[in-house]
This record gives sequence, C-alpha cells and structure tokens, in this order.
Amino acid sequence: MVPMSLITLTHLTYRYGAHLALDDVSLVLEPGAIGLLGPNGAGKSTLLRLLLGLLAPTAGGGSVLGLDLQGDSGQRRGLVGYMTEADALVPGLKGVEYVTLAGELCGMPYRDAQRRAHELLTFLGLEEARYRKLEEYSTGMKQRIKLAQALVHDPPLLLLDEPTSGLDPAGRDDMLSLLRLLVQEHGKSLLLSTHVLGDVERVCSQVVILVGGRVVRQGRVDELRTSRRDRYRLEMEPAEHVAAFIGALQSAGLTVLSSESQREVSVAVPEGWSTRGFFALARDADVLIRGLQRDDEDLDQLFHRVMDEEGRGEAQRGSEPPGAVHHAGAAVDQLDPAAEARS
Amino acid sequence: MNVNLLGYRPWSGQRRGAWRTPWPIARVALKMIFRQKLFWLLYVAALLNFLLFASGIYLFSQIDIEALTNNRATPQMIKFWTDMKMTLQKQLKLAGDAETYRNFFWFQGYFTMAILALAGATLVGGDYQHGSLPFYLSKPIHRWHYLIGKMAAVAVFISMLTTVPAILLFIEGMLLSEEFVNAPWPLLWGVLGYGLTLTVVLSPLVVMLASWLRRTVPLVMVWAGLLFFCRIVADVLVDLLRYDPHWRLIDLWNLMFVVGSWCLGVTPDRGGSERVRQLSLAARQPPVEAALLVLAGVFVVCIVYLHLRIRAVEVVT
Repeated sequence: MVPMSLITLTHLTYRYGAHLALDDVSLVLEPGAIGLLGPNGAGKSTLLRLLLGLLAPTAGGGSVLGLDLQGDSGQRRGLVGYMTEADALVPGLKGVEYVTLAGELCGMPYRDAQRRAHELLTFLGLEEARYRKLEEYSTGMKQRIKLAQALVHDPPLLLLDEPTSGLDPAGRDDMLSLLRLLVQEHGKSLLLSTHVLGDVERVCSQVVILVGGRVVRQGRVDELRTSRRDRYRLEMEPAEHVAAFIGALQSAGLTVLSSESQREVSVAVPEGWSTRGFFALARDADVLIRGLQRDDEDLDQLFHRVMDEEGRGEAQRGSEPPGAVHHAGAAVDQLDPAAEARS
Repeated sequence: MNVNLLGYRPWSGQRRGAWRTPWPIARVALKMIFRQKLFWLLYVAALLNFLLFASGIYLFSQIDIEALTNNRATPQMIKFWTDMKMTLQKQLKLAGDAETYRNFFWFQGYFTMAILALAGATLVGGDYQHGSLPFYLSKPIHRWHYLIGKMAAVAVFISMLTTVPAILLFIEGMLLSEEFVNAPWPLLWGVLGYGLTLTVVLSPLVVMLASWLRRTVPLVMVWAGLLFFCRIVADVLVDLLRYDPHWRLIDLWNLMFVVGSWCLGVTPDRGGSERVRQLSLAARQPPVEAALLVLAGVFVVCIVYLHLRIRAVEVVT
C-alpha cells in the first residue's frame, strides 16, 4: 500500500567532510514517476543514497513510504529497489544466479527467488542470456539485469540512478518503455535520477531540479513549464514569401524571436493580439500558414532557464561582501568558517 | 527486445529475516571460488599432504614384524625391528597421536595461505574492484550480514584444508587402532580447537586484508610478508641473536601453532632432532597466554577495521 506522500524531506542536509552535497532540501513527492534532474555534482546520487539509508543525514530528516529516514534503514530498503549508476554486478555469477541472490538478500526463500529471477529475466528480454556470466553481458543487458535485481522483491518504489547511461538510442527507448510500463500498468513509483532531460520528459510526471545540492524547482512537469500565452510558432509556405511575411509581422508590432528555417518562425505578440491577425498578414504577403501553435516551454528550455537563473543568482551572490553564504558544489570547500557556520 | 513476453507479475510471498542472508552470500562466494581452476589445483596439492599422512598412518599400523619375518626371527630380532618401527613412526610423527595432528596442521598451513590469498582477492577484493558492495548493501541487510557471509565462506575453505582432513585422519587412526569405543576423544577436541583457532583468526584477517588491498597481487605480497617474512625475522631474532622468545609473537602462524599445540596438549615443537633443538633453541616459544592475547588483538583490530571499512558509499574527504 503506497501512502499519499511517497517521499517527504524536511531540511535534509548532507556533507562529505567540508563539501556540502545537499543543502536544506525540503520536498513532498507524490506517488508516480519523478524525475530528479541536475547537472553533474548536483547531489542527485547523494539524495538517492540518503533515501536508501546508505548514508545518514548530517541534518534534517524525512520519510520514504512512511518510514522515517532516521529509523531502520533495512526495513526501508525492503520496500525500495535500487539501481546503481555503476555496474554493481558480481562477476563470475550467471544472470539468473545474480537476480536470485538479490531476491534472497531481500529475504525471499531460495526457490521463490529463483522462480522470480526467471520470470523477471523473461519479462526484461534476457531469457536467452540468463545462463551467461555477467561479465559477458553488453551494456544494455547489464542495465536490464540491474533493473531486474531492483525489481526482484516487487518493491513499490524504484530508485534509478542514470538507468539509460551508456545505452544506444534503441536500448534507451527500450529501457524508457519498460519504466513507463512499470509506472502506468503496474503502479510502481520511481525516482529517476538523470541529466538526460528527454528521459524525464518521456517517463515522469513530476520533476525535481537540483543545483549545487539545493532544490531549485519541484512540481509537476506541466505546471513548471511556463505557459507562454504571448508566444506562437508558425509554420508556413512558400519559403520565398516568408521574408516578406516576417517584415509584415515586425511592422505590425510583433517581435520575431527566431526563424529556425525558411518555413518556421517564433514570434512574441503584443497584448490584445488576436491570432486572426496572422492570417490577415499572411494573406497580404501571399503566404499559406500550415501550422500555428502556442510556443510553450519544453523541459529542456525549463531546465536551461533554471540553470541560467541559478547562474545569475550565483554571480549576484559572488558579488556580495566576503562572508556571505554560498551553497553550490565544490565552492563550499573554500568557504570561510563564519560563512560555513551560517550556511 | 522481447519486452513483456511474460508480463510483469507481482510477488507477495513471505519474507525471511535478514539473519538468514549470510548463507546465500557465503554460498555464492563458495560457488565463485569453486569455479576457478587454480583453486582446485591448489586444493589437490594440499590434499597430497593429507594423503601422505593418511598413507603413513595406514602403513605403520599395518606393518606386522612377526609376519614380515615369517616367524623365523628370534624374539630379540622382533623386539629390535618393533623398536625400529616405533622410533621411525615417532620421528616421522605418524603415530596418529597429538604430534601427528600438530605437524599436519603446520605443514597444511603453507597450502592454506596460498588458497586464502586467492579466496580473499576473489571474494572480497572483487566486490570492491567491481563495485559490488552497493549491490549487497542496497538490500535490506546490515553490513555484518555481508561480513559474516564472506567470513563464513573463508572459514569453509580453512576447514576444508585443515580441520576436515585432520578429522578424517583421526577417524582413520581410530579405525586402524581398533579402539573405536575407547577413542581418544580429547585428541578430537584438540583437533577441533586447533581448527577453530585457525578459522577465528584467519577469516577476519583475510577479509580485512582483501578489503584493504583489493587486488590479488598486493594481497599475496602482504599475506606472504605477514606470514613468512615475520617468521624469518622472528627466527633470526630468537634463534640466532638469542632475543627473548616473546619476539616470536610477531609470527602470526606460529602463534596459532602455539595455541593449537596447547589445544592438542603437546609442546609447540616445530621439529628437528633433540640435539638440533637444544643447540638452536628452536623449541623456545612464547607462553600460550601471550599468544592468545596477540591473536585476540588481531581479531579485534580486524573486526573494528571491517566495521569502519565496509560501506556501500566510500566517502573520501
């Protein structure tokens, strides 16, 4: 039974020595597929390890599936499947032995674990490779068997650290399809840590963006994307009349943001603009509009906007007098003691 | 990819406690070693020593002087040959008594050391090299379950090489002496005590060294240094330079030999003739209490180190 709140974190902080990896993270995540985005060193893997109980918080706390982060981590790990970014395989073992071992470590009796291992390997398309040694597996097969060991005890929550890392486009598609299937048809919740925005866009409904150990955005993907009512993307032909049409748009007070090809253009419109105006101008310029849609922000744009805002924020903080509080990444190492204490 | 040929099925069985997880860890560890040809090569070599002892005990028990001389020898001759047989049996330590087992354990140590270096690197060093620790520790187990599983696997290897063959020698000796009912049980307890000493000290030591050094070659070098170089240094100090026998406390294998000999109820005598022993003072050994104290210290250091070292996430500050 999955509780209403999947993960709750309150002022969660973690330090690797002097390096502040997670800084006062507070979150409430609902069941479902959650993307954990951030650049390298943002604290994504650290957050997963804290949720799993492999690391103990320096400060703060929270709960996973209703189980306290400060409580019995073994009980928590029994309800969570973890797929590491690194290989984390046991060379010398065959595929089915590896997944069986994972099942037994989760408390399953040997026979159950073995049967479950065969089921999962078939489900994940590894039935022909199950008696091969793990060191003979390709990258795609390794990723799938890592998913199998995380799923073996049928946990309600999966923590996946870069599950598409090293996969070719076809392998990546397969992995993402599997994850979507597990979420949509089998009710699994997953926290997908990645820096590949497309992965999150395809699988997740919620997103958390971490930068420098801090949560800078959190919520539903569709809510976080800026709804830009003043921006439109136009697709038109013939190409030879488009230049005249762009001139007409500018004369009418519209701002041409980008003209990505001879046939496409993005524009910002003034307040009170009606889309009928596009067609009137098109008729005058002898252009046929084949496509007209609002130019809402996609996840890629959202992420880069957030990163830009954070970059500007960092620069602003950098211009503050010495002793000001800094947060991000390795810069924490160079903090003076007074600033560190305040942070 | 044939995704969903067999649809995903939930599992809802009964889970067992984490205290049972060391068994699958140990079983898988044993399986990994048993798949190595080098292990079987070393194991067969180790069994040659066992076969030497077993056949020696058998042969000496079967030599019947009267039958050999076809009852034509005089009583004096029979006594002479019988005394010869007993002297030879005693000198070669093949009488099936405590000295036999003491020597068997001592010589078996060389093979044990080689196999343990291989086992340690494969079982624990490999987990670090290939990043397998997060796999184990991301499951609902404590690091002690992992350690107990690994140490149990090492303990099985030690027993396979020392205690089990020694017990087989004991059974052989018991059957040949036709004293099944009046078997020398204290001797069996001595054998088990010696085996237990080896297991309790060597298991955490191997796991500790393997988790520290990780790779086979450095592990073999440190292992050999610890067990052979220390012995040479101790022998030079005590036998040649006439230092106090307490200097032998640096020789770990010798310490286990001292404690094992105490379990068997014999002096920790490492061989050689009486005259050589008197000249070289090779028989000088530290007291068993001191040996026990050092071994307990080694055990505690290993356990503390492992407790600090075995983590799913290596934090480098």
